[in-house]
Formats: sequence, structure tokens, C-alpha cells
Amino acid sequence: MNIAALPDPPAFRFGPITRPDLVRYAGASGDFNPLHYDDAFARSAGLPGVIAHGMFSAGLLGSFLASWIEDRQVRRFKLRFRAPVWPGDTLHARGSVTRIRQSGSTTVAELALALCRDDRSEVVTATAEVECP
Amino acid sequence: MSGLGSEVLAEWTHPVEWGKVREFARAVHDPRLGREPPVPPLTFPAVLTAQFVERFVSELLPLDRRRTVHGEQEYEYLRPLQIGQQVRCTARITRDDVKQGRRGGRMRLVTVEVELADAQSGEVIGFERMTAIEQEANGP
Repeated sequence: MNIAALPDPPAFRFGPITRPDLVRYAGASGDFNPLHYDDAFARSAGLPGVIAHGMFSAGLLGSFLASWIEDRQVRRFKLRFRAPVWPGDTLHARGSVTRIRQSGSTTVAELALALCRDDRSEVVTATAEVECP
Repeated sequence: MSGLGSEVLAEWTHPVEWGKVREFARAVHDPRLGREPPVPPLTFPAVLTAQFVERFVSELLPLDRRRTVHGEQEYEYLRPLQIGQQVRCTARITRDDVKQGRRGGRMRLVTVEVELADAQSGEVIGFERMTAIEQEANGP
């Protein structure tokens, strides 16, 4: 099977995450949940302070995926949020090909992806299906 | 996959705007930032559904944000989003049940599916599915 159809995943590192990163994501996405910018509200929810949007981390993992597969067509991208991300965290992404299959005349690569902290603990895991013509 | 919820919860139309795509691509550090026309990042549909998700979580269900986490997010892509396109969004609940959590408390899992379609042709562009998890009040 032509796993060679896909290059090796690139190195991806982002951080440390800052409040301006979260404010920019809030504005860009329209997600103004106060957990992501209001410390008093976050503390009332039992958190030590604001947390990053799950979808900000999802967006970073999507950017890693896009840089890995270049312009190949993504069929599916499914993310699971494992742990909160805090301002100050530095994140790393990794990915691997788990399976190559035929779907009609198209070769589809199934990928496993993860976004991790410096200590390698996972904050977001994902699977993706990518067409490799 | 989407057979469970046939009742439409909400319907709206949202444009794919040039500036919004660039702003979002910059916020998530998309490697294709700067291309012309701008390429919508993989999670860009979140922009089309943000206002609805806000209303869904805080008014329609509602969930207590202090006890609620975002559990999963899924995208299915059938056709590319185009700059200037009007996207018809149709939301349905595909899951709403209570599960026993691993640490004793019960939790409510709600999945909402938004179908994205071209408003003019009706062709389906893809799906976004969001799962929220609300811990039961007064848990351990």
C-alpha cells in the first residue's frame, strides 16, 4: 500500500498560549463564552482561571493536519477534548497513519492525531480520513 | 448516523465572508493563510454555527456552563466551502441521554448536528457535530 502517498508529519509546536491568542480566537469564531476571558467567572466554575477554547486547540490541530496533508481532500475530522488548556501551555502535535483503504477508486488514509503538552499529556486527540489520489 | 433526531431545532443562513475566513485562519495559524481566495480552515464551520451554539447551550437546552464541558467535535466534508457562498444551516439534536460517569456522578450528553448546505442549490456541503457533557449538579 502506498503510505508513501502521504509525507511524514511536520514538526508542530505552538506556544506558550497567551490571552491575546484566546481573545483573537473569541473574536474570529464568535465564541464569547466568559470561561475564556473572565477570570472571576472561570473561578466561579471552580477553575483556577480562564481556559482556552476547546475549539482553539481544535483549530491548531486542524492547522497541523492541513500542513501535513497539504491540499489533499479531508473527508472527516473528529476531535475529542481530553484535558483543559491554560494560558502558558505550549502544545505539540503528532500524527500517524493508522490504515490505508480503498473507497471506490480513491485511496483513503486514516490518521490518528494528538495535541499534547510539554509533558506529553494529551489535551486533544483526533482521527481524520484523507483522500490520497 | 443522523437518523435519531429528525425534528429541526433551528434553521438559519450564514455567508462565508472573505474577511471572516482570513481572520479565523489567522487565529488558528492555518498554514494556507495568505492564499487568494482565502481557504476556510477545517474548523471554520464553527463560525457559521457560533451564534446558534451559544443560544442552544444557554437558552434552548439550557446547560449550566459551570458544569459543562465540550466533549467532542466532528466534521464531515462533502464539498468545499466557497467565499461568498450563502450556507443554509439546519440543526438537529442527535443524542440527549444521561450516563453514569466513571467517578460516580451522572452526566448528560447532548449531541447537536448541523447540516451545511448551499442555500441556492441545496447541495449538502458537510456536517458539524458537537457533543456537550454536563455534570449533574451537587456531584462529588
